[in-house]
Amino acid sequence: MPEPTLEIGSTYALQKPAFNQLIASLHSMGYQTVGPVVKGDAITYAPIQGLEDLPQGYTSEQDGGRYRLVYTGHPRYFDVTPGATSWKQYFFPPRSEMFTASKEGRNWRIEETPQSIPAYALVGVRPCELAAIHIQDRVFLRDEWSDPIYRMRRESAFILSVNCLHPCGTCFCDSMGTGPKADTGFDLNLTELEDFFLVEIGSEAGKMLVSGLPIQPASAFLIQNANRGIDEARKRMGRVMPNSPELPAFLLSNLEHPHWDVVAKRCISCTNCTQVCPTCFCWDAFDQPSLDGEQSKRVRVWDSCFNLDYSYIAGGNTRPNTRARYRQWLTHKLASWHHQFGVSGCVGCGRCITWCPAGIDITAEVAALQKEPIS
Amino acid sequence: MNCDPEISAALQSIPWFQEIEAMHFESMCGIASLKTVEAGEELFREGDKEDYLYIVLEGRIAVEIFVPGRGRQRIFTAEPMEVIGWSSVTPVVRQRTASARAVLPGRLVLLDAPKLRQLCDEDHDLGYVVMRRLANVVASRLLVTRLQLLDMFAHPGQEASNA
Amino acid sequence: MITNIAPQTSAVTNSRPMRPHWAEIIEIEAEAPGIATYWLRFLDPALSKGYIFQPGQFNMLYLPGYGESAISISSDPENRELIGHTIRYTGNVTQNISRLKVGDVIGVRGPFGTYWPLEQAKGSDIIISTGGIGLPPLRPLLYYVAHHREEFGRVVLLYGARTPKDLQYTDEYDSWEKAGIETMITVDRGDESWKGQVGVVPILFYRMRMDPKKTFVLTCGPEIMIRFVVFEALARRVPSDQIFVSLERNMKCGLGQCGHCQIGPYFVCKDGPIFSFAQLEPYYNVEEL
Repeated sequence: MPEPTLEIGSTYALQKPAFNQLIASLHSMGYQTVGPVVKGDAITYAPIQGLEDLPQGYTSEQDGGRYRLVYTGHPRYFDVTPGATSWKQYFFPPRSEMFTASKEGRNWRIEETPQSIPAYALVGVRPCELAAIHIQDRVFLRDEWSDPIYRMRRESAFILSVNCLHPCGTCFCDSMGTGPKADTGFDLNLTELEDFFLVEIGSEAGKMLVSGLPIQPASAFLIQNANRGIDEARKRMGRVMPNSPELPAFLLSNLEHPHWDVVAKRCISCTNCTQVCPTCFCWDAFDQPSLDGEQSKRVRVWDSCFNLDYSYIAGGNTRPNTRARYRQWLTHKLASWHHQFGVSGCVGCGRCITWCPAGIDITAEVAALQKEPIS
Repeated sequence: MNCDPEISAALQSIPWFQEIEAMHFESMCGIASLKTVEAGEELFREGDKEDYLYIVLEGRIAVEIFVPGRGRQRIFTAEPMEVIGWSSVTPVVRQRTASARAVLPGRLVLLDAPKLRQLCDEDHDLGYVVMRRLANVVASRLLVTRLQLLDMFAHPGQEASNA
Repeated sequence: MITNIAPQTSAVTNSRPMRPHWAEIIEIEAEAPGIATYWLRFLDPALSKGYIFQPGQFNMLYLPGYGESAISISSDPENRELIGHTIRYTGNVTQNISRLKVGDVIGVRGPFGTYWPLEQAKGSDIIISTGGIGLPPLRPLLYYVAHHREEFGRVVLLYGARTPKDLQYTDEYDSWEKAGIETMITVDRGDESWKGQVGVVPILFYRMRMDPKKTFVLTCGPEIMIRFVVFEALARRVPSDQIFVSLERNMKCGLGQCGHCQIGPYFVCKDGPIFSFAQLEPYYNVEEL
């Protein structure tokens, strides 16, 4: 069969067993492939070598404060929605060293900590997660400056995304406009069917990778199957966010709504939501001096607006209670983010709902505020 | 009743007395007098029986309270056009609650407090005008005092020891 | 060989914005109990020559081993051989800065933030109402006004502190008066030796006459003081886009990236610290925002 001329934007079919060749190609191009694996009764992201490492046969049942990984034996590899970990950790690590300052007489010398990290190939990025990566690109890579840690990891990464055909109980990517299909911003985008992966080429790097693989043109039948599956997925979202262009303005004019007191009674300020959220970007920086004071490492770690110290200023705390902090998180995510970055901060992945020990549901909170607005 | 021209001129320069009826102005003129003070001169002392309401024309008058063990605490200075000794006109307070002393050489208008109270009793229209103005004075003093209480320039941790 | 190197105008490396630039402490000037001004000169001659800042902006000062602190620049923007930073010793970082000596080296990143509206205020009257540690971020503006006095109408400085010994820059009041800036000072509590006014600084503002349409009100200091000045300015009908305040929040980056300094949709380090009241109005009365 003549090899099809590869074009960016076109979709091809790849027989499932050949997927391991794709992984091997990525290895030969120097990437470390990471993807979803089962670990400790949950899905997490870890290095994978091929299909055998993927969570074939698993689904997850997710609800407010509830996560169960269930083995049903189905044949699909990418049919399970994400667990607590997101891809955020690969570009924006939970802890990184920015530099080390060493004393030289009365002077100081700076040495940047060498970042010897591999070029990552992210395998199995869901559309919501892809949207989250693009949102974080706006945060960390700006015209006026860019974060070197994020930049280096992001620019060397390969993104293989996967359309979602089976959303779970806390998913609402459809109402946030981020899924269940990935539109742009990937190197390759897959849709998993019975025997085939449909492979959509998104970039030159994707094209190069695919050129060595035994791909075939995707038949109309396969493409129809895929589209039908995606449409079905759209209708089976577990949650709906009452999202509208007016939502940001609505939230910022209901800052004194009595409902904040209601949710404050349930929230325990544990920071889970900010840790699992793929777009949350707040961080803290501190010094780690050597015992003799001659050197100091400057370290950056994830922070959370739910931490008490977060809003400390000399003489007091500007958000001294849970009500203020929960309100900050939600209004930042769904309102202020628009002013700051031009998009919503929420991608509808539902992690914050699943991993909240109190089962607080961001979609339900917005609905409650809208039920009887004060403004 | 003829008003002393110097007193009349002084009164007319004070916003307090602008926009009151000619009749009321004349009554006030009749109970008013002028006083010049030197720097350091005392106007009244805590505990004095009230006698006058003062309006500063020029200079600066310090209001002080004596705290045993700490001495005289200067809590407020009145600038031109401000009122000192309002307690002489309010029915409840009968003694001075603070002392007043001139910081700079100055000139003041004095209103005889017992006579002012009598005028207010006899003519409720005038009484209303006077009390309304007094309410403003007391309100703004209260606000200023509250802000002083908040000690807003204290360094964090310093507020506790109000030395 | 002549090399044309464009002088660097800011101490922020775009590709590495958290990296400090080093400056030497040339002089330490005690201002009041617990407050001193540190005069810094960048070690890099290009930066020392080229660094520019606007009145109201701040630098992040870095003391290795302890961390960074956001400090307003308090010196003359047109006289930049040494950059002055007036520091009050409050937290861990600043208290350890207090142990540094002339000749020690400290890290600098900046300048960050928005600045006082000198362009918009040209031709208008300016009333500056401040107290305590709020004066340092306004001093650069006073210098600018003094150098360009004819550009503005009436300019008044209302400044207060807790006690007479907490007043800062006392040796400059005369030169400001001579430069045409009416300078009125008050203290919260005085003693017999104090011949000046006693009373919180908002009452200096209450006593002011002003033509609201052509008056700009600039205020900086404890938020409670700012609140009262703003309310009074609004009551006098000064337009809310002619009232400017400088706010303060926990800052870790100065870049609008670490998230700490947010008030509503604003990053105080990037959209502030100087805000017009028109910008803050929807959020100003929301407690604990």
